[in-house]
Amino acid sequence: MTVPAVSVEGRVELRPSRGLWSDALRRLVRNGPGMVGLALISLFVLAALLAPVVAPYDPIAGSLADRLKGPSLQHLMGTDLQGRDEFSRILYGAQISLQVAVVAVLMGLAMGGTIGALAGAFAGRIDGVLMRFVDVLLAIPGILLAIGIVAWLGRGLPQLMLAVAATTTPLFARLLRGSLLALRDADFVVAARSLGASRWRILWRHMLPNALTPLIVAATLALATAIIDVAGLGFLGLGPPDPRTAEWGTMLTESTRFLRAAPYLLLFPGAIIVLTAVGFNLLGDGLRESLDPRLKR
Amino acid sequence: MATLLSVRDLVVRFRTREGTVHAVNDVSFDLEEGETLGLVGESGCGKSVTNLAIMRLLPKPAGHIEGGSVLFDGEDLVTMEESEVRTLRGRDLAMIFQDPMTSLNPVLTIEEQLVETIRAHRKVDRGQARRRAVELLTRVGIPRAEERLADYPHQFSGGMRQRVMIAMALALEPKLLIADEPTTALDVTIQAQVLELLRALTDEMGTSLILITHDLGVVAGMTQRVNVMYSGFIVETGTTVQLFAEPHHPYTVGLLHSIPRLDAEEATPLIPIEGTPPDQLREPLGCPFAPRCAWRVERCWTVNPPLTPIDGSPARSARLSGADATHRVACHNQPTREEAEAGRPLRPGFVAAPPPGAIAAQLPEPDADAVAAFAGDDR
Repeated sequence: MTVPAVSVEGRVELRPSRGLWSDALRRLVRNGPGMVGLALISLFVLAALLAPVVAPYDPIAGSLADRLKGPSLQHLMGTDLQGRDEFSRILYGAQISLQVAVVAVLMGLAMGGTIGALAGAFAGRIDGVLMRFVDVLLAIPGILLAIGIVAWLGRGLPQLMLAVAATTTPLFARLLRGSLLALRDADFVVAARSLGASRWRILWRHMLPNALTPLIVAATLALATAIIDVAGLGFLGLGPPDPRTAEWGTMLTESTRFLRAAPYLLLFPGAIIVLTAVGFNLLGDGLRESLDPRLKR
Repeated sequence: MATLLSVRDLVVRFRTREGTVHAVNDVSFDLEEGETLGLVGESGCGKSVTNLAIMRLLPKPAGHIEGGSVLFDGEDLVTMEESEVRTLRGRDLAMIFQDPMTSLNPVLTIEEQLVETIRAHRKVDRGQARRRAVELLTRVGIPRAEERLADYPHQFSGGMRQRVMIAMALALEPKLLIADEPTTALDVTIQAQVLELLRALTDEMGTSLILITHDLGVVAGMTQRVNVMYSGFIVETGTTVQLFAEPHHPYTVGLLHSIPRLDAEEATPLIPIEGTPPDQLREPLGCPFAPRCAWRVERCWTVNPPLTPIDGSPARSARLSGADATHRVACHNQPTREEAEAGRPLRPGFVAAPPPGAIAAQLPEPDADAVAAFAGDDR
């Protein structure tokens, strides 16, 4: 978008050209809810990265003398049954959530993206087989599928990642396949073919980059779901193998037993899970609006 | 001049849910090296499909070539392997599309797209390809080509994008360029510039040009020879001069009378061609233009006339291309010169033949809405 500006000599000058991405970034910065989302996520990422520096107490060791203390200046969010500082545990818990969610969504993108790209690029039998497989995955509720995978492969972080990845895979596969199918008859794809571009080149250079933006948006939104899925699995007792590990879902489970005595133990991890998920959702919607050229104002 | 392209009995069908569309029916024509051929007809008459078939770019899986041959430089494009066709595309065969707004990839810079095209066919390094790209952009009239290489398509206007498309299509000096309504989507003021550029470049490179259009003004100014297509058939062909001076097919006559003329001495009324093109889901029976034709005789309903020389010479001796191409027409009852000028039959007492009973039964029931819309008209 070049805007002509008349310079002193009265000559029309063109503002330096900008790429698609910097245009999108500019729109994102002006998107209020998107920036709120970005702020929430930044807090979350900072918490995860700086937990060892910022956390006032050891998240695993506590003193029984301090058990079930309410929020105070010493313990901002109180202490749990074993006298561990809740605030420190939430900071460390961000590490697990971030790690598992990001790796899981990347794995889901890789698996779903490959399936979607193959199905979209090679119509016919390959498409049919792959999409039926995806349909099967889609037919199983996500959390059930994840429980099944953890039950099958045992507890552990890699298993947790794989389980959450499996729930996001069909989403990405369908999305990418749909975009590619729509692009296959796009004018510029036919034009590229008419100039002798190879099949591989057309898929890689012409179709995939154009199918990327919905995928970026979906991945951001999937991070929100992944955070909730990780917490959900933790809540169901399928979290990290070491029961002492600070993990938001696991912390929720433990707190349910003291719901009346220490309601803050439920409130803080619950609120943090919700805020993080909301953050990713807001950013995802903001990205959708700023990346879609049709919504350009 | 040697023959570059020789299309023989080309048949293209589309398989759709509703049935088989008879898109191109036994189309034959030749094209010489350096020759410019116009392809004229209304939307859906098979102009674009004919050329997509030549390029082997028919939308899959619906469209396919049912028969015939397309000899290009002596090789049959119809039976060629996809990989062989791919090496020809861009190098020897190129195409320009109607809408420059959508035929460039929005996420790649002009440089990436141009350099990619050059490097797909020539073993040159990035720097050499880039220099060639600058040269091409300058040649098609893009100012500050060196800087504009880094721009994305959305930073160019429609006319400039079409120039970029022309640069890409002609990057490797192809032997044949197919331009599918290259100026339809452009401002009138830009159209002439783009056409002039196309003409200059194809002349310079000795490239043969097939120009698809429904604009007879463009045809008159740009082409040496014209094929008039209707419903997937070539109904009239000849040199541009012959065709404009003496149209011999009622459809061509209709086309010439349906455009306003600026050079007319007095205001002549426009004569629209009544009705709509036939449903191409049916196997053509008789002349496809018969239902809309004012000159039709009884035979038109049952026998589809072949393309024959207008002077009555045997079809076999006809010249298919070049400046002395034989003027041929597919019509049982050709309009006379006076009738062609008037745009309607002048023979006393002549009435267009009504459809015979057997055929009338096969024709679709007239649509109630359409009839209502025509009420007050000649019905």
